[in-house]
Amino acid sequence: MNRKEIFLKKRYNSEKRFKLYGKLAISFALIFLCIFLYKIFSTGFSAFQKTLIKVDVTYNSELLFLDENPSLDDIKNADYYDLALETMANLDLNADEDQQNELKRMVSYIFDTEIKNHLLKNPDLLGKTSSVLLTASDDLDQIFKGNYPRDIPEDLRRVSDYQLTVYDKLIKDEKIISKFNFSFFTRADSREAELAGIASAVVGSFFTILVCLFISFPVAVLAAIYLEEFAPKNKITDFIEVNINNLAAVPSIVFGLLGLGILLAVFHLPRSTSLVGGITLSLMTLPTIIIAARASLKAVPPSIREAALAMGASRMQTTMHHTVPLSMPGTLSGTIIGLAQALGETAPLILIGMVAFINTIPMSPMDPSASLPVQVYLWAESAERGFVEKVSACIMVLLGFLILMNLLAQIVRHKFETKWS
Amino acid sequence: MKKINAKNVNVSYGSKQALFDINIDIEQNEVTALIGPSGCGKSTFLRCLNRMNDVIDICKVTGEIFINDFNILDKKCDVVRLREKIGMVFQKPNPFPKTIYENIAYGPTIHGMTQSKEEMDEVVELSLKKAALWNEVKDRLHEVGTGLSGGQQQRLCIARAISVSPEVILMDEPCSALDPIATAQIEELIDELKNEHTIIIVTHSMAQAARVSQNTGFFHLGNLIEFGSTDKIFKNPENQKTQDYITGRFG
Ligand SMILES: Nc1ncnc2c1ncn2[C@@H]1O[C@H](COP(=O)(O)OP(=O)(O)OP(=O)(O)O)[C@@H](O)[C@H]1O
Ligand SMILES: [Mg+2]
Repeated sequence: MNRKEIFLKKRYNSEKRFKLYGKLAISFALIFLCIFLYKIFSTGFSAFQKTLIKVDVTYNSELLFLDENPSLDDIKNADYYDLALETMANLDLNADEDQQNELKRMVSYIFDTEIKNHLLKNPDLLGKTSSVLLTASDDLDQIFKGNYPRDIPEDLRRVSDYQLTVYDKLIKDEKIISKFNFSFFTRADSREAELAGIASAVVGSFFTILVCLFISFPVAVLAAIYLEEFAPKNKITDFIEVNINNLAAVPSIVFGLLGLGILLAVFHLPRSTSLVGGITLSLMTLPTIIIAARASLKAVPPSIREAALAMGASRMQTTMHHTVPLSMPGTLSGTIIGLAQALGETAPLILIGMVAFINTIPMSPMDPSASLPVQVYLWAESAERGFVEKVSACIMVLLGFLILMNLLAQIVRHKFETKWS
Repeated sequence: MKKINAKNVNVSYGSKQALFDINIDIEQNEVTALIGPSGCGKSTFLRCLNRMNDVIDICKVTGEIFINDFNILDKKCDVVRLREKIGMVFQKPNPFPKTIYENIAYGPTIHGMTQSKEEMDEVVELSLKKAALWNEVKDRLHEVGTGLSGGQQQRLCIARAISVSPEVILMDEPCSALDPIATAQIEELIDELKNEHTIIIVTHSMAQAARVSQNTGFFHLGNLIEFGSTDKIFKNPENQKTQDYITGRFG
């Protein structure tokens, strides 16, 4: 072989090696992604199932202190607690007082409300017996889902031997059923894992992102248009440009401190609200959108500006009639990506107090609210076993929103962007 | 009759001077060709005539350019009005990524030239007819202009330029991106247009300059070496450099 051939062979080999390294790197990343997703899905999946106990409730008007023909209001205002206790005690007629207490703890604390709502739906059940589905307590829920070992000493368990025997009897009678957990999506956070839902976090995140969008989008787009189309290129604009890029690199927790120090301490905006969260996050999103908007303004060919100017359009008309509309798809997709980043941001929200325990669904950005990433953090902190699956489920919902937003950004970019030859 | 009269025009980009003391008279309703080797300043001069150099921060233009006896380099000159009077066609066809109709209607719209939809339809039709494009696109006025062929796009740009009835049309190598057939169509068009407009065309093709123009100016390294009737420049140039350039000895 002469030198040239050896050289050629070397070149081919190095190319092959390079391709191999690339493939290895990609598989490495993919494996990690798969492990991560598998972990999340396998633990989080069961949170979408809810365990219910079917009990027979006798709607005894005496226990409810109702007269002969009660109005709907009377039914609504009656106290169902005694009836509910009685219902649970009926699961085991031989139970002593302690055991009755344990029976009560097999369902969630809203069992009386559940019994009441069932009657409100069909008021003619008064005086009759009907089976009602009650939410099982989180410990029983975990046992049913198999997440909780039962072959360990009783004092290490949160479910007593007595409760287990009742539970096994209920299983045999097919009184324990599992249903899709709607309340996970409709209820706010709760101290009780079986009742905790993500509604307050979803609504809170929605308001936060909305506030963030309404503040950062107009400001960022105007700034980008000015810098790209009107500002003279000099030292001052160079300095501004460098600082916008710096701003994009500032750790998010710093923005949280800024929100805490200025929005809460100086302007006294209400603590823990999406309003403050949104304003804080908009500081973070601002540079992202400015950079995306400038890039897509730059991508509009100068020949289009020249064409408009040569037709006698003013600079303002050229910008507003041609450049800005043509740059919009890129700007919008950058905005969506910026908002997706903001959606996953946790640290600044914790600093401005969105970490508080909120068990109501916010009605406006001025109400105290939770947010999805902080909800993940809160539940992950919680010691109770029942919250483990909730953490993963909440992450799944968050990931779902993020994937949706990134997909939308892709669609906006590819569908509406003008292709320049 | 003189339409444009440039006096001692100097142009520099930053510290680099691109044009030196250009003096030129351009006749009304004639085609004037500007030729010369690459980088000699033809485009720069053309862009002085509609003040397109204003857009370039570092570009400084001095001297006087009279159009209809009005100095357009004067501060008082309104560039929007000026560019309404002086249309321009660029080297690469650059229609707006909008419909054919909107491309043509843009100029009349921003200058408030029409009162009604019917009037606008008329302007669009007339412009497209003058640009010899009407028959090819009359059935698809509402399709995007960028979907046309290169030659059609360039004629669309010409139609767009004449939609506001400019007095002067500047053309910077309008055929360099086109094939011979499209080029021939555009040359024919230029011949038509000179009846109503004054045309200045930059070209790299000697043959094109000879075919379409009545007057020719030869630029070299930022100087206007020779200017005169096309016949004279091509058959009997006074300057040795002109002679060398048109016979293809450099450039
Ligand atoms: N925007 C600009 N910034 C700096 N220098 C420029 C700019 N435009 C043109 N020049 C310089 O000015 C000189 C003349 O350029 P011009 O474009 O007028 O040449 P031209 O004759 O049109 O050439 P071509 O035939 O290649 O189009 C060149 O030396 C060029 O480098
Ligand atoms: Mg040129």
